[in-house]
Amino acid sequence: MLVNPYARQLLATADEVLGYRLTDRYQQTEGDYSVYGQISFVVNCLALARWAEERLEIRPDLVAGPSFGGRAASVYAGVLDFADAVRMTARLAEVMDEYFAAEHPELVTQSMARLPEEKLRLLREELQERGEFHDLACVVDRDFFMLTVREGVLEELQQRIRSLGGMPLYTMKPPMHSHLFGPLRERVDAEIFSGLTWSDPLLPVVADQDGRTLTTGAEVRGMLLDGFVRTVRWPDVVAALTGAGVDTLHVAGQDGLFTRVAATTRAFRVRPVTPQSVMRPVRRRPAVLV
Amino acid sequence: MTDNISVAENGALLNDSWDGTFEAVLRPYLPYLSSDEPLTGDADLPHLGLDSVGTVELLAALESTYQVRFLDDALHRENFATPDILWRTLKAMANPNA
Repeated sequence: MLVNPYARQLLATADEVLGYRLTDRYQQTEGDYSVYGQISFVVNCLALARWAEERLEIRPDLVAGPSFGGRAASVYAGVLDFADAVRMTARLAEVMDEYFAAEHPELVTQSMARLPEEKLRLLREELQERGEFHDLACVVDRDFFMLTVREGVLEELQQRIRSLGGMPLYTMKPPMHSHLFGPLRERVDAEIFSGLTWSDPLLPVVADQDGRTLTTGAEVRGMLLDGFVRTVRWPDVVAALTGAGVDTLHVAGQDGLFTRVAATTRAFRVRPVTPQSVMRPVRRRPAVLV
Repeated sequence: MTDNISVAENGALLNDSWDGTFEAVLRPYLPYLSSDEPLTGDADLPHLGLDSVGTVELLAALESTYQVRFLDDALHRENFATPDILWRTLKAMANPNA
């Protein structure tokens, strides 16, 4: 990506805002969820999207960014200035680290696939009967979910998922998207979001919690804040895009989840925008898009 | 990792070493393995690009191809670590009494 002219421009801005070289820190730090990984993800998504606009003549009608993707989507839509998004992402990482160091140390979020909704319901009823905490963090597909539980029940939960024919995938700590995180939402709004400028989007943003089409900066701000406390419901986004007549989804940035599952691949032509795809020589033709 | 597995009726597969069909099903889920590179039994499948969603898709493809159903301990992700381990899991499912 470092040969991408947009990535280089964005990285120069990020380095200036951060006061250090982002690529150096990213390469020296393990894990994509480090602050450097999170900012690099925003840079990567935006650079690919802008490059695709120019090279592939893509002119999207709508933009969506599930979960962490909401930050890049907000910049792409013109709601947030890129420099502000860098500051925001860096501060969010700090505030979230502080919050989860003190709160909910016992909670994790477990992803599970090929578990139909009725079996998920059964799983949750069983947890409920035992007085165990459970909260739905994410609906990825009609049989693919993420559930927040106590770490202490994880092994048993995974075994139960398998006995129901499902496959437990990965476990996230800290957990994500839970109604318990209201204080985090409030703190982020007061300490970070209130200091940023939230312009109305030039391109409508589809909310990842319910598929609503957002057309004001305040609504997009609300969507990012709700990301802390509300379930991500990707099938609602798919339904909203389908309802809007979208037939092609261009994926700018690395995604191994939302744009790969059947709900998405059955509904759209999914076109990953990669450095290879934008560098390939193209024949110019009218754009058909998202 | 292969106890309590529901098993196909056909029981038709399954030699000790994996067959061409198995490799043909597996390869599309390994984006970092080029088509002219051999797939060895101890190859690290996640290292070759088999991620979470790929694992779920591969599982469905194997179930469909071999008419088996993975259940319980067969659904550990560790069973998707290498071709040899995955083949042994598949074989155990198709031939539970072997």
